[in-house]
Amino acid sequence: MVLPSSLRASFKYITLLATIVQLCISVWMYLNFKTGAAYGGINVENQFQFVQKLPWINLNLGALGKMQVDYFVGIDGISITLLVMTSLVMVIAALASWEIKSNLKGFFALFLLLDMALIGVFCALDFFLFYIFYELMLLPLYFLIGMWGGARREYAAIKFFLYTLFGSVFMLLVMIGLYLSVTDPATGNHTFNMVQMMNPANYAPGSVFSTLSHQTIFGFPARTVGFIVLFIAFAIKVPVVPLHTWLPDAHVEAPTPVSIILAGILLKIGGYGIIRICIGIFPDVAASGAFWLGLLGIISIIYGALNALAQRDFKRIIAYSSVSQMGFVLLGIASQTTEGISGAVFQMVSHGFLATMLFFLVGVVYNRVHDRDIYNFRGLGSLMPKYMVFIMIAFFASLGLPGFSAFIAEAFSLAGAFKSEAVNGLVPQWMAAVGAIGILFSACYFLWTLQRMFFGSLSLKGGEIWKIAMTDLNTREMITLIPLALTVLVLGLMPSLVFDKINDSVLALVSFTKNFVH
Amino acid sequence: MHDLLPLIPGYLQDVVDSIKFFMPEIYLAVLFIVVLLTDLLFGKNARQLVKIIACAGMFLVIVKDLEQISLLLVNGQTKAHFFFNNMVLLTRTGINFKFAVDVLAFILLIYFDWDNNLAKHRKGLSDLYSIVIASLTGLHLMVMAVNLLSIYLSIEMVSIASYLLVAYRSENSFSTEAGLKYVLFGAAASAIMLYGISLLYVYTGSLNLFGGNLVQGLTQVNHLPVAFALVLVLAGIGFKLSFVPMHFWVPDVYEGASTPVTAYLSTLPKVAGFALLINFLTPFIFFTRWNSFDFHLFLSIVGIITIIAGNFAALLQTNVKRMLAYSSIGHTGFALMAIVTFNSQGISALTYYLLVYGIANIGALTLASYFTNVTGAEDVEGYKGFGFKYPVASICFVIILISLTGLPVTAGFTGKLFVFSAVYGVYQQNHDIWLLLFMVAGALATVVSLFYYIKIPLYLFVKRNENAGESVSGSYNLIILSIILSLLILVFGIFPDLLLRYL
Repeated sequence: MVLPSSLRASFKYITLLATIVQLCISVWMYLNFKTGAAYGGINVENQFQFVQKLPWINLNLGALGKMQVDYFVGIDGISITLLVMTSLVMVIAALASWEIKSNLKGFFALFLLLDMALIGVFCALDFFLFYIFYELMLLPLYFLIGMWGGARREYAAIKFFLYTLFGSVFMLLVMIGLYLSVTDPATGNHTFNMVQMMNPANYAPGSVFSTLSHQTIFGFPARTVGFIVLFIAFAIKVPVVPLHTWLPDAHVEAPTPVSIILAGILLKIGGYGIIRICIGIFPDVAASGAFWLGLLGIISIIYGALNALAQRDFKRIIAYSSVSQMGFVLLGIASQTTEGISGAVFQMVSHGFLATMLFFLVGVVYNRVHDRDIYNFRGLGSLMPKYMVFIMIAFFASLGLPGFSAFIAEAFSLAGAFKSEAVNGLVPQWMAAVGAIGILFSACYFLWTLQRMFFGSLSLKGGEIWKIAMTDLNTREMITLIPLALTVLVLGLMPSLVFDKINDSVLALVSFTKNFVH
Repeated sequence: MHDLLPLIPGYLQDVVDSIKFFMPEIYLAVLFIVVLLTDLLFGKNARQLVKIIACAGMFLVIVKDLEQISLLLVNGQTKAHFFFNNMVLLTRTGINFKFAVDVLAFILLIYFDWDNNLAKHRKGLSDLYSIVIASLTGLHLMVMAVNLLSIYLSIEMVSIASYLLVAYRSENSFSTEAGLKYVLFGAAASAIMLYGISLLYVYTGSLNLFGGNLVQGLTQVNHLPVAFALVLVLAGIGFKLSFVPMHFWVPDVYEGASTPVTAYLSTLPKVAGFALLINFLTPFIFFTRWNSFDFHLFLSIVGIITIIAGNFAALLQTNVKRMLAYSSIGHTGFALMAIVTFNSQGISALTYYLLVYGIANIGALTLASYFTNVTGAEDVEGYKGFGFKYPVASICFVIILISLTGLPVTAGFTGKLFVFSAVYGVYQQNHDIWLLLFMVAGALATVVSLFYYIKIPLYLFVKRNENAGESVSGSYNLIILSIILSLLILVFGIFPDLLLRYL
């Protein structure tokens, strides 16, 4: 913001540089990330790595003791992979921002603010801090969609904002309730520390969310209510059917870089929140409600896929396919088996890259002719051969072709769901079977789109003008797409890159939740 | 008469002893006379002079407020102090409230003549300054009054000043109507309150809230008439706080009055009114055998209705000032939530919330003034596309509105958080269903309020306006003021303990 307008052209380079530096830092962290049973994280504070803890708000509140909020960040296996994914996607999004032509200063300022909030969400271990970052994302996104979006951008932006805020204000209430229920054993104060919240022994007897006292809110068990409220907040983000209706609007209206951030990163915050907060803090409720989580997961898979089949807007298909793919995350989480949760995390990482790639590819066509209707294109394959190669990679990877990352992710999620009935009896086997049908549907819509748009003889709605406009990928676009395609392929061939890092944390989480499954 | 003679030295001594606790108010009275005289002596040429004197005087008053903190310290402990024959009570909370009122008044005094519509007034603004300062004396008394008589007097003092302020700009029929409406409503409200007070006096023979046998006496009277009288008194206070159903005057008056006066009305009397409500309720709440009227339930229901009515009515507005008027009703409801806790944490949360609300609301109206100055627009639709033309003002507007909505990282969010946690703390002990409903209503109101607050950034930035006229560069004064206010909001949002430590 302090830069004068004369440096107009440099904003994008500064932003790009910032994101690349961030990527380097996260890769460095990834390489230095220690693995082993001693670094599981989840519910043990000193097993987190790269921890930074500074006292932030310390208030003496008289009778209620001291209010303690720390700037407390740290990562474990679940955060590290998502962190690397986030920083790579941010680089891609910065590259995709080349299409933005108006008001660059505002755009990149908001972009970097959003970037900070996103990274913050994945690192925060203090609930208060988490909430601050979580809310801080909303405003930049509102303006990014609202100011640089498509025709119905106002509607899409406000819908997105209201949906998310609706979830998060109630999250605020639960957060305060948890805060007043939990005391830090070291200092005796109430604390927002998430790691302390996971230990049932830290709950003051008689407090609202205490595991022993069985309080009720409106006649329902308080912990169940707390879980449901948090789950709804994150389910809006994921998004889980029936809370998904903001997503197609927001994705379609947003400019390409924002669509990339939305699909690549924002949806993962929902999944991450469910794993870290819903399961971590309310494992007992998560165990008893696993059936419903799984059910919502498969409804998302099937409903999203069927909706994608019915669309004719290229971007909308991908938006609905996101709903469908994120359903696997929920199914994997619901199973609460090692395979299931690993699969869920892997699916988040993999979908982060794939969704980025898909939205970037849609952006390529849209930038050239400002149209996305599938029926208006035919036979693009002969006109843009390089483009088609990447489209095929992205499509086949997304529909779960072995050798690509999504295959591993979906296989593990489904394996977890199959195994669950035998291990802990949380999710019945038929859910896994239904989930597998979802993959079939995804093959249908991806292959149909591919066939409709790229095969056959060349025929464009815009005629000759479009034909001239539809140039093949340029160097910047190739630079953007090649690393994504490679990542997807490498992750498919060597899933251990992710699994090695997350394994200890997943094991810790599973053994932690196992105590609560009867 | 002769019987009273021996008492006179005692009373005189009491008055003399009380004076040292009354310094800020004496300064205000002197300031009032000085401002009035300057205006008379120097006439219209003295606009800046009057303003400078008023602001400097306010600064002194704020210093005097802070000096009072040490006055209350007895052996290292803060004690409340009654004086003027138990008419007024000075407490630590009272000092906080006075401080909040004076700081907000200071900002307002700076802002008054920067509003073009008000500055155009043909009689000049000098009278306005003296009226505001006179009303501040009344506000200080409101904060400290603990006798039904002094309560009534202080409220009247503030009301009369407010009537004058609202009618100050009467060039169009709408403003005149607003002024008249306000006077009529105010007169009716104070009559109702006076009736309630006289009923209370009839039941008990005492006017003194603390001491005397007012509260004790009321427990021996039939519950129904007591409740009736108390509701009447609360209605009078409610007029100042503008909670439902005493809110009908608010939208018209806020819209009709000139913008700085709206900023005055929506903040100062409200803050002082809450202090008065605390003083009024304290003896009842802490009287253990009190059983005739459930303040808790009454205020909860009123508060929930106020939150809902204020926020939903604001949804329909397009005039910026009218929208802020309804939203200020919603904020009253939210602040009532902190009152219902009746504990020290709730009260300090309330002080923080009100101060932050005051800063943000004055900031919002400052910017409304600014946009009216430069574009002539009073409706949101008139703001279309001006975000890029006046980027600094628009960004400040966004920050301030975000704070009013209560989203991080602004002070509005921390205020909301403190109120919620104070209420939650009480809920955890007594599991009162009303408190829970209160919190749910408050949370829902945040979502609703976002919808109308975001309208302003929506029109500023998102809606495009192809034929936006020539850009008029407005005065930098208002921009600088709003930048300072937005920075304050951000700083208190990130480091709330800077402020809350002292409350």
